[in-house]
Amino acid sequence: MTEGGKQPVVEARGFRKRYGAQRAVDGLDLTIHAGEIFGLIGPDGAGKSSFMKAVAGVLQFDGGSLSVFGTAIDSDAAAESIKDRIGLMPQGLGQNLYPDLSIEENVDFFARLRLVPQAEAEARKERLFAITRLGKFRARPMKQLSGGMKQKLGLVCTLIHAPLLIVLDEPTTGVDPVSRRDFWAILAELLQETGATALVSTAYLDEASRFDRVLLLHEGRALAAGEPSSLSAAQSGTVLTLHDLQSDEALQLARQFGYLEPRGRDWRLFLAGLNAEAAQAAITTLLGRTVQTRASEPELEDAFIALVGAPPAAPPVVVAQAHGAEPVIEARHLTRRFGDFVAVDDANFRVLPGEVFGLLGANGAGKTTAIKMLNGILPPSSGEGWVAGADMKRAGRAIKARIGYMSQAFSLYTDLTAIENIQLYASIYGLSRQQARERARWIVDMAGLAGFEDALAASLPMGLRQRLALGCALVHSPRVLFLDEPTSGVDPLGRRRFWDILFRLAREEGVAVLVTTHYMSEAERCDKLALMFAGRVVAEGTPASLKQALAARRGKLLALEVEAPRQALVQLQSAGVDASLHGRRLHCFVADPAAEAPRLCQLLASAGLAARALGELPASMEDVFVALMTELEAT
Amino acid sequence: MQFLLTLRDWMRPMLALTRKELTQLWRDRVLLLFLVYAFTVDIYLAGSGVTLQVSHARTVISNADHGVAARELTGRLVEPTFRVDAQAHTQAQALAELDRGGAMLALDIPPRFSADLAAGRQTTIGLWADTSNSVQGFMAASYITRVVSRFGIETGLSQALGQGAGVAAGSLPTVDNRIRAWYNPNQDDAWFMSLSQLLNIITVFAILLPAAAAVREKERGTVEQLLVSPLSPVQILLPKVLAMGGAILLAILLSLGFVLWPIFDVPCRGSLGLFFGLSALYVFSTAGLGLFIATVARNQAQVGMLTILLLAPMLFLSGAWTPPEAMPPWLAHAMVISPLHHFMDIAFGVMLKGQTAAALLRPIATLSVIGCLLFGFGLYRFRRQFG
Repeated sequence: MTEGGKQPVVEARGFRKRYGAQRAVDGLDLTIHAGEIFGLIGPDGAGKSSFMKAVAGVLQFDGGSLSVFGTAIDSDAAAESIKDRIGLMPQGLGQNLYPDLSIEENVDFFARLRLVPQAEAEARKERLFAITRLGKFRARPMKQLSGGMKQKLGLVCTLIHAPLLIVLDEPTTGVDPVSRRDFWAILAELLQETGATALVSTAYLDEASRFDRVLLLHEGRALAAGEPSSLSAAQSGTVLTLHDLQSDEALQLARQFGYLEPRGRDWRLFLAGLNAEAAQAAITTLLGRTVQTRASEPELEDAFIALVGAPPAAPPVVVAQAHGAEPVIEARHLTRRFGDFVAVDDANFRVLPGEVFGLLGANGAGKTTAIKMLNGILPPSSGEGWVAGADMKRAGRAIKARIGYMSQAFSLYTDLTAIENIQLYASIYGLSRQQARERARWIVDMAGLAGFEDALAASLPMGLRQRLALGCALVHSPRVLFLDEPTSGVDPLGRRRFWDILFRLAREEGVAVLVTTHYMSEAERCDKLALMFAGRVVAEGTPASLKQALAARRGKLLALEVEAPRQALVQLQSAGVDASLHGRRLHCFVADPAAEAPRLCQLLASAGLAARALGELPASMEDVFVALMTELEAT
Repeated sequence: MQFLLTLRDWMRPMLALTRKELTQLWRDRVLLLFLVYAFTVDIYLAGSGVTLQVSHARTVISNADHGVAARELTGRLVEPTFRVDAQAHTQAQALAELDRGGAMLALDIPPRFSADLAAGRQTTIGLWADTSNSVQGFMAASYITRVVSRFGIETGLSQALGQGAGVAAGSLPTVDNRIRAWYNPNQDDAWFMSLSQLLNIITVFAILLPAAAAVREKERGTVEQLLVSPLSPVQILLPKVLAMGGAILLAILLSLGFVLWPIFDVPCRGSLGLFFGLSALYVFSTAGLGLFIATVARNQAQVGMLTILLLAPMLFLSGAWTPPEAMPPWLAHAMVISPLHHFMDIAFGVMLKGQTAAALLRPIATLSVIGCLLFGFGLYRFRRQFG
């Protein structure tokens, strides 16, 4: 982490890469020092993969300079000369693995490919298996592994030749939060043990705290770089969570502060440049009354949006009255078996009109299968899925015409233009020409597609493509909307805009929205959540009630800042403290944060580790999710 | 009236989807190029390059005789059927040439061949044919046998009559065999080859295009978007067949207009409208197989492989290479289920024989039944897969 006159492992100056007329990376400067975990953070298409492939010597670039281990990568020969010291894990879960080979065969293959002496390979393999806990599944074919296990196996295969620099391209994309946490812990342990350097990219901004240093990449340019805490701190300000706002008050706040984010029935507001007291005072002055608020530090996402420069936001969606108490989506003992495998096991939940309902769960927990049963693509093995007052098993055309569905990966016809896509779906749902024209105008307006009407869907930026897909799902003004991971790969601004549209639909038009997501920050926005695990709904409630339940079960969160976080974690865990690592910080579950803080600091101090208590931390949905999952996996 | 309105509501989404398929095909320049290539260049190559007749069969002769009769016999092996460009000194040399692949036929004329004939004695010659390509070898062997036996008869007759060879054959009581070649009077291979290749290409695309279009929807996940809509499986699948069928009919017209008619002078003796109508029926029948493939395959590459797998027996059982009469009985019966077999009867019937629909009633009826079964099966599989 310190320079100490040592040569940097990677050094880029004015790095540029273009594909045809498109600039993937446009003048990137960065330096990676030996032993650090360097994070490249940005949405899809920011240029992360291009840079990482160039570092690994598998992609030529167009301009600037790049040196790895002090060797300038300016020719194929130079790229070849460093390859034996580099391990690259390409994007895509298990993309570099062979599905029909077992875990062990995969690892052995990579060891032989890299000409690792047999005895050395065996020893290293056992060590890596021990850390990743893959050893007991060694005979299992790769294709039968879960997402998290594939990812760990990919890491083992990348590390089998003991590279000095490992390049991991989005290793956590598409993996559930529990496996993600596990992965970061394993990576930190491995790096500490081998002393290797890591260049890792991610599309999840909330993972920034996992890195020693990060660089925020947006449209091929660096937005900011530095230690994660300094990045969000650079954007000084306070986040307030507000309860019980009147609709006129919400409008007033949005007019004054730019953007007000609906979170269930609460509101989240970022006030730049104000500390907690000043922020609360500002609210009280503006509204002329004291509102119940909770202050917290800004997240990297706030910093990102501030750095990108958010466009003027639309007025917030005001809280409307309930649209009815009769559920429009209802799972009644919904079950689906595929052979012996139970994908969905006796799931029960209900969604009211005007409600945004989030379905959370790891990959393979049964979310997609549940949605497919509810919208009539898949017949349930037993139980019933009721939508808009009809059993979907027997639902006719009339019911289907009231459902909107947006499947994973924005299924648009990419070789049709935006407007052709809209018109096609309008015809499929039997809209008249007049209606189709009106809805097309509405969708173009809603999605911000003006000027892109005649562009091929394939050429649209991710955010626009996603909103076009939503528009197509909404062309017939459905009363019920199913969204299956609608925001993966979209940048924070695009996601924010997408969720605003969802809330508008729910609140103003009374549409019932059922959405699945991997982003825990999005789960916070939902009115209600259901958590799925191994096909079962294991928890259901509002985000607030789920957090309360967590506090009752496990305690409250205490944040510690420590000098040597990895050693400190081991210390605390061996002392029986429920702790986890977050970059340079440790999160501990304790009954009473104020009382426990001195004791824990002392505990660390006695082991020669300097620590500082940062006070109680509000639990996030990720904490809830991870806590529940680990409890369930333990049973 | 109510029925018509319902029909319109039923048709409208299908027309939109048909238009979508055609737009997608139009924008897929690679596939389009492949389609045009197959219907023009490929058929041209088949029509001009492939012939079933033996021509320029390389013949090596080891002539140990050098007499008049030997010269008379070898002089009858002429172009274009034979090409004698190698002389061997011994029989062993001639056979070595056969082994080496330098010749297809080897003729060994023994010493005293001419003398024996002149003396009115029986004599023999040796003939070897390379039949590793059984069709060509068999035909070359039978051609040369015909030449040799005719030479033998003529020599024998002239000896018997005591006259010069071949002069008085007409005065003897022989059968004059006058062949009338109908439908293809010049026995031009290009007609048969180009037309049957067109039918093969139609088959390939009638399976491939709808299958590829359907699997593409599966790959990109758009099929789920269609399944949650109020459309029935028929409404989802029929447009693909309509669009791709239309594209294929257009390509047939291209092929006829630019290759078959101008280059090979293939006639259309029957009704062109009938030909296109029955081509449409055939494309519809075969598309059912494409839909079946689409339910089995997970991606475009698998579509390609499965198409080849299904195509091989279809072409084999079509009757283009072997007529059913020449097949073992069980295979000949199997041909009944090959739609291409019936379409061959129809296409050759209409184009070359000028047959009418009434004359072709049997193949048309069979083809319709097969088509309905295949399409129904494809639809059933799709329904079952996507419930």
